[in-house]
Amino acid sequence: MATDTQTKKNYTQFLLPAFIGVALVYFVVLAKAAIFPFILSAALAYILSPVIKYFEVRGIKRTFAVAGLYIGAGALVFMVVYLLFHFLSFEIESLQQSWPEYAKRMQEFVVRNNDKLVKNYPFMASLRLETKLDHLLEAAPQFLLGLLPALSLLFIVPFITFFMLIGGTSIIDYLINHLPSRYAELILHIASRIDASLGNYLRGILTESFILFLIAFTGLLIMNLDYAAVIAILIGISSLVPYLGAIVGAVVSSIVAYLQFGALMPIIKILAFFTGLRFFDDWFLQPYIMKKAVKLNPAIILLALMAGLEIGGFWGVLFSIPVTCIIKEILQIAVELQETEFRWKPKPEPTRISIPYT
Amino acid sequence: MKFLNILNRLYDEEILCKLDFLKGIRLFEGIRKRQLIHVLESLQERTYLKGETIFTQGDIGRALFIVFGGKIALARVDQATQKSEIIAEVHPGEFFGEMALLEEMPRTATAYAMEDTKVFMLFKIKMESLLYARPAIGVTLAAQLAKIMSARLRAMIEKPQVE
Repeated sequence: MATDTQTKKNYTQFLLPAFIGVALVYFVVLAKAAIFPFILSAALAYILSPVIKYFEVRGIKRTFAVAGLYIGAGALVFMVVYLLFHFLSFEIESLQQSWPEYAKRMQEFVVRNNDKLVKNYPFMASLRLETKLDHLLEAAPQFLLGLLPALSLLFIVPFITFFMLIGGTSIIDYLINHLPSRYAELILHIASRIDASLGNYLRGILTESFILFLIAFTGLLIMNLDYAAVIAILIGISSLVPYLGAIVGAVVSSIVAYLQFGALMPIIKILAFFTGLRFFDDWFLQPYIMKKAVKLNPAIILLALMAGLEIGGFWGVLFSIPVTCIIKEILQIAVELQETEFRWKPKPEPTRISIPYT
Repeated sequence: MKFLNILNRLYDEEILCKLDFLKGIRLFEGIRKRQLIHVLESLQERTYLKGETIFTQGDIGRALFIVFGGKIALARVDQATQKSEIIAEVHPGEFFGEMALLEEMPRTATAYAMEDTKVFMLFKIKMESLLYARPAIGVTLAAQLAKIMSARLRAMIEKPQVE
């Protein structure tokens, strides 16, 4: 009888946490649009937290460190945005004026080559390349206009991030303090492992993206390509996704080069430049910057990117690799725990040496 | 005067106390004060309430604990009598659980807080990061750890045998 009561108590203690967990997941699924800025803010707070910690351990109180970072970074961001707009404003205005001409030339190019292809390979007619291009050219300006609401995130996310940085790890500390104390070491160990791999990866990829943006911007300026700033920014953002940066840059730059120069040589130069950039990234940047980051098999990276695209579109692709890092680390820890804590494998033997200590 | 007051409000005195505290820990002997900042970055702070268990005998160890304030008791279960007896008390400035920094092996004793205790935890993974990122600190830390382990082993060997 006493054993039954004890067993019931053992199960009932998990009822409330399980109920809260399920309710939380349900809320997140229902209100995902409202939750999304908080997820971005948490990611930004996580990326900025080492900067705050740097000042904290040197004696600056957290509140002042965060305020100082925002004032300093705000001034820097304002300068960067101002300079970028200085470059971008001419390019965007010029693109706006030239777009009808470019659209017409692209259509002529596709029509001319489509006719040749259909003549030699009749099955190509079923692809309807002309119709698809018309849809694409109509959709492109609408797609760009559709990005405007996302610009509101530029204001909401830093605002939420400010308060997350001020709070620090207080929420996580609160949760750990209210779990059995014996497991605090294990939970903090798991958090340290995830922090080590994810933190290294995020900082590495951001550094890599920034360096690729700078190199691409310089290279395209030297080659006198129009819209160098826009293309460089696009390369920087797409470099956040592995393998994508140089490919996007090569494709977009080649199209712009064809429209600008109308000859083959500039396209070859651009392709050679991006091939060189890709090699530089693979052989120098990644080994140096990403050496401490978690190593993922290219097949796993591809799976993660495709799953991310399926689940969350653009943002899903952007977050797919960091989430995969976390999942990989958790799986590794779970397997280790099964082997050590739950004795799936024999108890680990300590190092034994027969020669006595002298 | 006003400027000094502003500086005092900006500056966190607690950090200075922590750095002074770490300077006195034997494990960090030989590490310069300005390098201790990097050690402090790697430490995790936690407060255990009176009676809370830090770890149990047989749990896999993953961190070293440095007592900042309070008192920790280390107890071992006697295999023959199955009774738990306190084998040591750890006071502020002392540390325990250092074997976890070398091997992730089962703990040889149970640790619990005899009063409200604040500890710093150094995880093996953080120590490895220090070894790679700051070799000067990592090497000093590893050497100190080896000296401490050697001293403890010597004390065990030289301890008179109980009849």
